[in-house]
Amino acid sequence: MISDGAISTKKDLSERALGTLLLAPAALLLLVIVVYPIATLFWNSLHGVDNANPAAGEQFVGLKNYFTAFEDDRFWASTWHTILYIVATVPGALVVGLGLALLANMPFKVKWPVRLGLLLPWALPLVFAGLIFRWFFEYRTGVVNDTLMRLGFEPLSWLSDPNLAFAAISVAIVWKSSSFMALMLLAGLQTIPKSLYEAAEVDGASKWQQFVEITLPMLRPAIAVALIFRTITAIQTFDIPYAMTGGGPGDSTETLAMYIHKTTLDFLDFGYGSALAALMFVLSMVATSGYLKYTRRSSGRSGD
Amino acid sequence: MKTWKILATAVLATAFAASAWAQQTTLRIFTGGQQRPDVMRKIADEYQKRNPNVKVEVEVGGATSEAQQQYLSTVLSSKDSVLDLVLIDVIRPAQWAAQGWAEPLDAYVGADKAKLMGGYLKAYADANQVGGKLIALPYFADSQFLYYRKDLLEKYKRPVPKTWDEMMDTARIIMDGEKNPNLQGFSTAGAPIEGTVCTYLVPLWGMGSDLTKGGKLNLDAPQARQPFQLYGRMKQAGVLPKNIAEIPTDRIRIDMQAGNLIFAMSWGYVWNRLENDADSKVKGRVGVARLPHDQGGTSATCIGGWQVAVSAYSKNKQEAVKFARYLSSPEVSKMQAILASHLPVFPSVYKDADVLKANPWFADALPVVESAKSRPVSHQYPQVSDAIRSNMNAYLAGTKTTDTALADMKSRLQPIFR
Repeated sequence: MISDGAISTKKDLSERALGTLLLAPAALLLLVIVVYPIATLFWNSLHGVDNANPAAGEQFVGLKNYFTAFEDDRFWASTWHTILYIVATVPGALVVGLGLALLANMPFKVKWPVRLGLLLPWALPLVFAGLIFRWFFEYRTGVVNDTLMRLGFEPLSWLSDPNLAFAAISVAIVWKSSSFMALMLLAGLQTIPKSLYEAAEVDGASKWQQFVEITLPMLRPAIAVALIFRTITAIQTFDIPYAMTGGGPGDSTETLAMYIHKTTLDFLDFGYGSALAALMFVLSMVATSGYLKYTRRSSGRSGD
Repeated sequence: MKTWKILATAVLATAFAASAWAQQTTLRIFTGGQQRPDVMRKIADEYQKRNPNVKVEVEVGGATSEAQQQYLSTVLSSKDSVLDLVLIDVIRPAQWAAQGWAEPLDAYVGADKAKLMGGYLKAYADANQVGGKLIALPYFADSQFLYYRKDLLEKYKRPVPKTWDEMMDTARIIMDGEKNPNLQGFSTAGAPIEGTVCTYLVPLWGMGSDLTKGGKLNLDAPQARQPFQLYGRMKQAGVLPKNIAEIPTDRIRIDMQAGNLIFAMSWGYVWNRLENDADSKVKGRVGVARLPHDQGGTSATCIGGWQVAVSAYSKNKQEAVKFARYLSSPEVSKMQAILASHLPVFPSVYKDADVLKANPWFADALPVVESAKSRPVSHQYPQVSDAIRSNMNAYLAGTKTTDTALADMKSRLQPIFR
């Protein structure tokens, strides 16, 4: 008995060691590509260049950059624009994506054209999508104004009016991101057992009732995951407004990510840029933890 | 014996090949898409012919000055040695000196410096020296001119306008007469890009004022409102394109080339494209003149042009400097003038017969370039530029009034010019 126990402890230990050993590369990789850059970012955000004496290089300034940010109108404005994009494009992409997923889930004989159509916008680099939509909305040569004029309307300054530019950029973002939503939701749709629909049909439920009572509740985990991913990328909105308006007119379409890019790569103010990025990180964390709490609660309830 | 010989030959051949390999230098030069990379390639080919040990690679990026600098900031902040030489905008040397990105060239040119710098147009000799250090060498000069449709002015018997009001009147008369809905009166850079800084500064300078005075911000002067009011009047008269706030530099050239513009404020390179591009509808129908001015003001223009800097992180600095000096020679100035209507950095090249044959207007261009003014010099120039261009852009888009645009510009510039 005693020797038996000793052997099993020994085995436990060696198995644990093996486990640790096998996990080590992944942990190390995470440390190098996630923890180290984030730590560096926070460390950099505590530094700054004295513009009167740039030759002295970066100096430790404590939390000064954060205080500057809280008093910086442009930080608040760009954060506000980012939130507006989230509010407009995340639900927008969910609705369009859900529609696309339902379409793709229909029993077509030939499935690949629909699925290819779903994948293409997702596979396109963001900047290309931005440039394509910029040409669509261009004042003199764009297809949107051309259509308006053919219908007898006046052409609109899509890219140099703050509200129209916001609408144009939101359309582009929804087009670009709804295919990703659709892919996630399609995966969710395919896990719903057919028998549920058959039973509902027997009970005389209409198509709409089936959608509301079966599809939506069963899809909730997939929707939550899709929303988390989409919201996090929406917080980082950069490429499409960058390519479409460059933040103009004035700074009216500038997002937080664009302001960070400008501060670091244009103004070369790495300290302040890092502080802004750290604040964006906090924003992402808040949004993510909110969603996680929601999904944990809902999965707990379904387990009851 | 025989094997020994073969072996020796093989060893010798390898050694020779290795030494030839060691002497072969590859230089990589970065240029913006709008600075005629095709012409740079031709110049580099010529250089390779004369220096068989050097191979030049031309890397092309960014259509606008600030897009290029964003890329270069990434490369150079990480001390990457991939680029040996870089074409930089005339506004950049101060920032490049402050960041230590450019290899100072003083030690390389040595005793030659005074003679070398004396040969250039004075503005470019000055612009490329920061705190006594030679940061870059001028590649081509530039300033803004008024491009006008010679044929339309003749048709309506109007002179080349001297003042902005005269230009607006002429544009209106031609637009009303032609009844072509695609024909626009006057265009300049209006998008939130570097060129829009000059859109604000040119009318300001024309009134004898400047952004700063004795190092202090000078936007309380009544003339600071002038540029906004001028473009406001143009907008009201329907002379500016409706989408002026979307127009970047090269779009002006494209509109002119398509025959959709009567007047344009743009740079030297436009001429060559209008005269030589296959799709140009205005070949031989365009003239170039000094920019108009306000009543009671004088004609002003922004100094432009591109400089060749040697990267501080290059691993081939000696060879790079040699190539830079070739790029900044009268011979290359002449090549560029003929192939791309790039304005020469040497006064003598303006009088060259071949150059004048390709660009008849160069005969009157030298005094314009010599009188062109510099945008504010600061190692924080990107912030200065952003404050001016985004507010000018917002005004042109109609989202800010003169008062709000000026107040916002002031509040962003104040911390820089204390």
